[in-house]
Parts: sequence; structure tokens; C-alpha cells
Amino acid sequence: MLLKPARGKISPFESIKGRRRREAVKLYGIMFPVLLHIFIFCYIPMYGIAIAFQDYHPGNPFIAFDGSVKWVGLDHLKKFVTGMYFTRLFGNTFRLSLYLLVFGFWVPIVFALLVNEIKGGAFKKFLQTSSYLPYFISTVVVAGMVLSFIKSDGIINSVIESLGGKAKPFTTDPKYFSSIYTITNIWKTFGWNSILYLSAITGIDQNLYEASKIDGANRLKQAIYITLPSIVPTIVVLLIFAIGGLLSANSEFILLMYNPAIYETSDVIGTYVYREGLLSGNFSFGTAVGLFTSVFNFLLLYAANSASRKYSSYSLW
Amino acid sequence: MSLLSKKNPNKIKEGSRIADFMIYFFAILICIATLYPFYYVAVMSVSDPMEVASRNVYLYPKGLYLDSYSLIIRDSKMWTAYWNTLIYVVCGTALALLTSVIGAYPLSVKNLPGRKWVVRYLIVPMYFGGGLIPTFLLVNNLGLYNTRWAIILPTAVNIWYIILTRTYFMGIPDSLRESAFIDGATHLQLLFQIIVPISKPILAVIAIYKIVGIWNSWFGALVYLPNENLHPLQMYLYRVLVQQTVNLKDLAFDEATEAAKKIFSNIQLKYAIIVFTTLPIIFTYPFFQKYFIKGVMLGSLKE
Repeated sequence: MLLKPARGKISPFESIKGRRRREAVKLYGIMFPVLLHIFIFCYIPMYGIAIAFQDYHPGNPFIAFDGSVKWVGLDHLKKFVTGMYFTRLFGNTFRLSLYLLVFGFWVPIVFALLVNEIKGGAFKKFLQTSSYLPYFISTVVVAGMVLSFIKSDGIINSVIESLGGKAKPFTTDPKYFSSIYTITNIWKTFGWNSILYLSAITGIDQNLYEASKIDGANRLKQAIYITLPSIVPTIVVLLIFAIGGLLSANSEFILLMYNPAIYETSDVIGTYVYREGLLSGNFSFGTAVGLFTSVFNFLLLYAANSASRKYSSYSLW
Repeated sequence: MSLLSKKNPNKIKEGSRIADFMIYFFAILICIATLYPFYYVAVMSVSDPMEVASRNVYLYPKGLYLDSYSLIIRDSKMWTAYWNTLIYVVCGTALALLTSVIGAYPLSVKNLPGRKWVVRYLIVPMYFGGGLIPTFLLVNNLGLYNTRWAIILPTAVNIWYIILTRTYFMGIPDSLRESAFIDGATHLQLLFQIIVPISKPILAVIAIYKIVGIWNSWFGALVYLPNENLHPLQMYLYRVLVQQTVNLKDLAFDEATEAAKKIFSNIQLKYAIIVFTTLPIIFTYPFFQKYFIKGVMLGSLKE
């Protein structure tokens, strides 16, 4: 025992295996707080999904086998799927995301192509900087601004009236919500989403453009036949993600924008989980609804990825 | 361009003037669409309340009225919220940096036994999560509900940042580690005295992402903090702009202020508070923008 090495020093008498094990213990010791945090804040809530299949009341353990937990199987899920709001919630969530996909997905691509055509340094920088700006402004401020613009005497109605139209009840008539949601979300993210496309464009071989010029291609043709095909991999990856998120509308934004008068078109699964699950305390039911969304989204992502792998040879995994 | 082509008639003509005109036309249109809403809010916030009420203000301020700002500056609730946000930003960013560094370092060491399993342990939560309610119940059971910790702790570790940092650490030459070990350094000394100082670029990216993220977040406060004295700035704004449970008109007006102004200035106070709370972001944004773009690039390399 006299030869026991001092801590932290490498002893010539220790086997290589033992030394490696000691190193590993030290390294895991360093990251232990992180592993513990992930266990508590990521894995325990996953295990908490179990309450979707019980009648959970605050104070119960998530899982127990002493009979204190009442298992109800898929009852909550059935209640949601057959419930009176299901079609409305599912429809709204799907429709809002689909609008964003159809009307918004191509905007950053076109914007990236446009930016790429601008050769001047200062203006190009200004254009990019201002297009990213809305992304950095908080959702609360954006919602507050939009709400003040669309109210009965806001700027939008002022302009409509000064053009001879009639003021429209944007905040209380359900039929306007989809447009407001789609336009605001596109406005907030198009610049930011163009960054990935722009970085893909900078990687394109300049010789392609030189060659096409000799063949007489103008700038529009170059954009369509060289730039666009070169960024197809990026487009496909982002499209798969967008399809995978079809059942996850931006509920944080909707929570700020909606009111009971327009629930008909604006209430989505995320906001419903917040109201019914959290505010009303139906924890098991809310968890079941949330689980339904996650599973459905994952299936969509999986389907989109498989389709892409089959037809375009690009895929996430 | 035209000069060039005159000098060199064989040079192939690049684009037409019409194409250029169209491109710049749309580019300027986009600039207006993104910037005008902010400009409008700023202009409204400083114009005369009567002009604002009669909806005459569009392009430039009419009259000058700064009382909204002086009222807001005297609003103690807003300063409490500013202070809370500052606490959340400082603690949250410090924790995120610390956990990214200590989480990434062991994973960047070659031959770490079991590394494959730890990486899987990290990747699973990036795809699956418990969702809103189980997380809420957990925070409640831990006794964090209605304390500052409910905002700081659950988001202290970000797996994505750990992976970014690890990628960066792995690009550091091995010779640096080896020479440190020969000099008798421990892992922690190596990490904090040698690796962290040369990893400033990635740590800056993480810090800035985190700062902006915390500055803009409000949903955590909505779910976990019924106590208004703990609310961050965005939650205060939520109460003012959306819920309208804080009525800015109640802020003490001087008696001399005309009655009409009181009625009309509520909307203006909202514009002023938007300007006042968003200015820090708008002014610092051009400086931190490049770090954000770097972050996007780093992220896309992984894909």
C-alpha cells in the first residue's frame, strides 16, 4: 500500500486498463450534472406521459403498482377523438400549418435567389439585415403590433377606409384569422429562413455560371437552371421538416392573437392543451391530446422522409 | 457595366437593365414591408395624441409628444420586469455556457468508454419529449412553481449547444491536450484554462442565442409564475398589450394634462412601451447578427 499513487498522478505500477477506467470515472464526473439534469428534465417528463392512460390527480405518483393509480387505457384519447371539438381543432391546426407551407415555403427560396442577384455590397447587406430583423423581435411584441394594426381603428382599417372601403372586423370575425396568421408568420421568418439557402448558393461552382453565359443563358435562366437545382437538397430537407410539423401550428403566437370570438378558426391543438389540460387542470386528458399530436407528427415526418428517399434520394436518415 | 462592354465588345452582356430594375424594385419593396411596421410604431409613439386619434399619422411624426415616454419611465412595474429579465438572462446564459462546456468536454475525449451510449442518451430527448403537462407537473413536484428557478432551471441544459460545442472541441489539435497533460494539468484545468479560452467563437454564438432566446421568452412565465413581481419583461408586455390587464392610463397623469389626451393616449402608451422595450434588441442586433448566422451554418453542417 506504500506504493499507492497520489490522486491525479499517473503511476507506472497501474495497469493501462485501470488507468483508462479511472480517467473515464473522472470524465463522467465532470459531465455528471449535465447527465442528471437531462435525466430529470427530459426523461422524467417522458415517463410522465404514462398519466395519459390514467386518471391522474395532483399528488399521485406517475406510476405505482399499489392500486393508487387508476389506469383507464385509451379512454382519454377516445374522448378527444370522438369529442365535439376534435374536427375543429384538428382542422384548424392542419389548415394553418398547410397555409404556411403552401404560401410561405417558397418565399425564402425566392428571396434568396433575389438577394443573390444583387451585386452591390452595402444595399445587399442592408436588405439581408432588415429581412432578418422581425425574427429577433419577440412574439409578444409582434402580436401586440399586429393586434393594434388590425383593430377597428388601426392602420389597416384606416387605409381601407381612405381607399373608400369599409372597415373590417379583423379581430372578431373568424374568417380573417388564417390570413393574419399566415402573413404575420411569413413576415417574421422569411428572411431568417433564407440564410440556409443563401449559404447553399455561395457553395455553387462559379464555372457553371461562366459556362452558361457562353451558352447564352440570361440571369433568369441561370437562376432557374443552375441556382435552383443546386439548392434542391436544402429545399428537400426543410420541406421534410415542414411536413413533419404539420400538426404543430405556432400555438405560442396563436395564444397571443386569438380570443373566444374567433376560436372557430383559431383554436388549435396546442392552445386547447394549454386551456383544457393546464388551466382547467385536466392533466391526464391534456397529456393524451399532446401525445396524440407528437405521434401524428412523427408519423408525418417518417412518411415524408420515406417518400423523399424513394423519389428524390434525399433523406434525413 | 456599359463602359466595360464598350471597351471590350467581345465580353458577354450580363443581364439587362430591366432585370436590374425589377430586382431592385422588389428588394426595396421587401425592405419597406419589413421595416415600415417598426417605423410606424415609433412615429405613432412620439406624435401628438390628437393627431394619432384622428388617424393622420403615417409617414412622419406630427407634433411632438414625449409624455408617454416620461410616464413609462416612471412605471415601476416595467422596471421590475426589466430587472427580472436581466436576472434570467444573466443566470440562464451563464448556466447554458457552463453546462455546454462540461457536457461537451468528456464527449470530445477520444476512447471514452461508453461514449456511444451517452451520445444516444443525448439524442433521444431532441426528438421526443414529455410535452407541456408532464413537464409542468415535474416542475410543480420539485417545488419550483412560482419561483425564479422555474424559469432558470428547466432550460439550463441545451443538448443542441452541447453537440455544437463538442464538434468545436473535437477540432482542437490533440497536441495541445497532450502537452497540457505532460505539464501535469488535470482535466478541469485543461478545460477551463486552455480549451475554453480558445473556444470563444462557439461560446459567443451560444451566449447570443441564449440571450436573445431568454429576452424574448414569455410562455414559461405564463405557465409557471403567477407572481407578477417575478415576471420578465415579455410577460409584462403580454399583460399590457394582449391581456390588457395592466391599464397604462392608470399611471398617474399630471393634473394639468388635458382630459382628451388621457383618453387618446392609451394606445400611444402601448406604442411607446413597444419602442422602449424593443430598442435594446434593435440597437444591438446588427452586432450580434453575424453570430446568429454562424450558428445556423454550424447547425446545418451537422445535417
